[in-house]
Amino acid sequence: MKRGLVSWEKNELPPHELAARLDAVHAIARKERVDVVVVYSDVWRSNDARYLSNYMPYWNRAFVVVPQEDKPILLCALSPRVYPWIKTVTVHETITASPSPPATLFKLCSERGWKRVGVCDLDGLPTDLHAELTSGNVDLVDIPRSEFRPAPTAVEMRMHARAARMAREVLEQELATVREQTDHELTGRLERVLRRAGAEDVVILVSDGVGPPIPAEGRPVGPHSSVVVANEYNGHWAKVTRNLAGVTSSLISPNGVTQLREILSGPYSWENTADTAAAAVISLQLQITANDRQLYYGDTCLQSQEGLRVL
Amino acid sequence: MLKMNPERKQEFLNLMARRGWDMLLFYGDTWRKDHFRCLVSVCFTGPQAIALLTKEGEVRAVVTHPWDVEPVKAGTGGPVTYVPRLVEGLKHLLRDARNAVVAINGLEQMEARFARAVNESSGAAPISATADVEEIRRVKTQEEIEWIRKAALLADRGYEHFVSVAREGMTEYELVAEVEGYVKEHGAEDNFMLVASGGIEVTAMKPPTARKLRTGDSVITELTPQINGYYAQICRTLIIGPPSEKQLESYAIFAEAQQAAQDLLRPGVDISDVARVQNDVFRKHGYGEYTGSQYTRVRGHNLGLYPDELPHVLESTHYTCKKDMVIICHPNTYLPLSGYMVFGDTLLVTETGCVSLSRTEKRLFQA
Repeated sequence: MKRGLVSWEKNELPPHELAARLDAVHAIARKERVDVVVVYSDVWRSNDARYLSNYMPYWNRAFVVVPQEDKPILLCALSPRVYPWIKTVTVHETITASPSPPATLFKLCSERGWKRVGVCDLDGLPTDLHAELTSGNVDLVDIPRSEFRPAPTAVEMRMHARAARMAREVLEQELATVREQTDHELTGRLERVLRRAGAEDVVILVSDGVGPPIPAEGRPVGPHSSVVVANEYNGHWAKVTRNLAGVTSSLISPNGVTQLREILSGPYSWENTADTAAAAVISLQLQITANDRQLYYGDTCLQSQEGLRVL
Repeated sequence: MLKMNPERKQEFLNLMARRGWDMLLFYGDTWRKDHFRCLVSVCFTGPQAIALLTKEGEVRAVVTHPWDVEPVKAGTGGPVTYVPRLVEGLKHLLRDARNAVVAINGLEQMEARFARAVNESSGAAPISATADVEEIRRVKTQEEIEWIRKAALLADRGYEHFVSVAREGMTEYELVAEVEGYVKEHGAEDNFMLVASGGIEVTAMKPPTARKLRTGDSVITELTPQINGYYAQICRTLIIGPPSEKQLESYAIFAEAQQAAQDLLRPGVDISDVARVQNDVFRKHGYGEYTGSQYTRVRGHNLGLYPDELPHVLESTHYTCKKDMVIICHPNTYLPLSGYMVFGDTLLVTETGCVSLSRTEKRLFQA
């Protein structure tokens, strides 16, 4: 659940970066000949809207609606009582209370004469919203996410790198001082330090050296434990894994170990790395067998045609 | 630790028999894991997980992260398949489902492409089981109540920590970090927490900001730790420094309203009346307009595997309360006396009334 610091640091995410992303969506709208592009967002799938307007629904659902040549409108299921706060951390000047975002969208379509609506990843919408949208009187056009969110920009990479640096520093520091702790105690310490450092969301998993990394269960942290930290900093995720045994492996050319690659569009990807354009920010996790124990090691990398680079 | 609740499983099988469903899918995603966990109590870490319950009682599962295979297998005792793409997993799971009647708990939240895959496998659109399953989930088993008791106890300890660390000059997000770290350290699997600080300009709770706490601030929070899947919630208000007369006056109204709900809640009572008696207290004090949606959301809600279960406690919602439901009654709203204020306890409905699972003192706290 999102409950850390949500902010818009304009020196890190300059307004012109968001303006350029909106311009790109305007261009998609023209190319696809749609009057408006709609991006869905909820607690879990918040980062598409975040990419466009820095809006993060800590709860509930929303549509970011981008008219072909106009500023984005937020159709928001949250109470109007939080709109003043939303305006301080997003580009949104217009927010419309929308218990049902499709119903409000149809009203807008009717008022503004919109006939063709582009929807980012139409089939990825929740079934109830999809049914409501497809029952309306507008033509829907699917906009693939890869078109909407192409290769990461330099700004995105810097934000992911910052999230990775936070996770790396905190994890390595805490593991260096672990003494007879349970995984609950270690998780609590990591959460406290990361959230005090400005983390927006944190997910921590611990492996005991036998089973895979899982949420803390009150087990002792031992010499064969590995700890996975997924850390979100202002909408940008990083995942870093270290083990207490200090075993590492080359992330760039790992040999003889099991690899897991995930796209960091969330704490855990719902896409396959093959879905992306050539470049993507990914988490690379390695499972290393050492003395009959399973150890994990991983980090956040930029995947591109030039290969992998740890961020 | 509870992984598969046999009592619940039997209730779901009975539901399937009543409705004529051949297969019941439990679909969870990262936001709504509860739709999966009401059958298989495993906190999966991948983006989605699905469990299939056949009318014969067999349980099979598909997970979308390889690290979930082992814990889910331990939870179900049945076969578990890992697939990076859920559409392929659904086709595998429903390979013998042609012409079967398939219902889905969590259908509304499921991506449309997944529902289509179910349709293609079975030959018919899946049926939503969500409302029926939620009705079963509303009344807790004794084992579930014990987990919620533990979560309520942790909420008390978490709030005690909140009071002990809150101080002038601290930012909201630092305060939340301290509490989050504390409850995780003491066994919380997750924690839903909103916060706000300030005076009469505060109209709602939200995620924490970098605002620093000041003398005279109301610091409001709802703290909702989760133990083994189950949430309990506590809402309290703390003042930095001595409270003003208006803050005390405001608190007295909230305390009276919450007590009115607690005095009324019992089996057979309409949830609408539980909202009404809280709102009546505000009306009696001349603040009736602050009970509407412009100033507040709900006067409470059900608790369980999701921190905001239905029914909501609203005058417009009609639902007859049952023994062993767990409900938070919180008359949280904006008042011009003090800004947004919160106050609420987790209540267990008993045979003759209700008991509070929250042990935190009912008072306006001070730091």
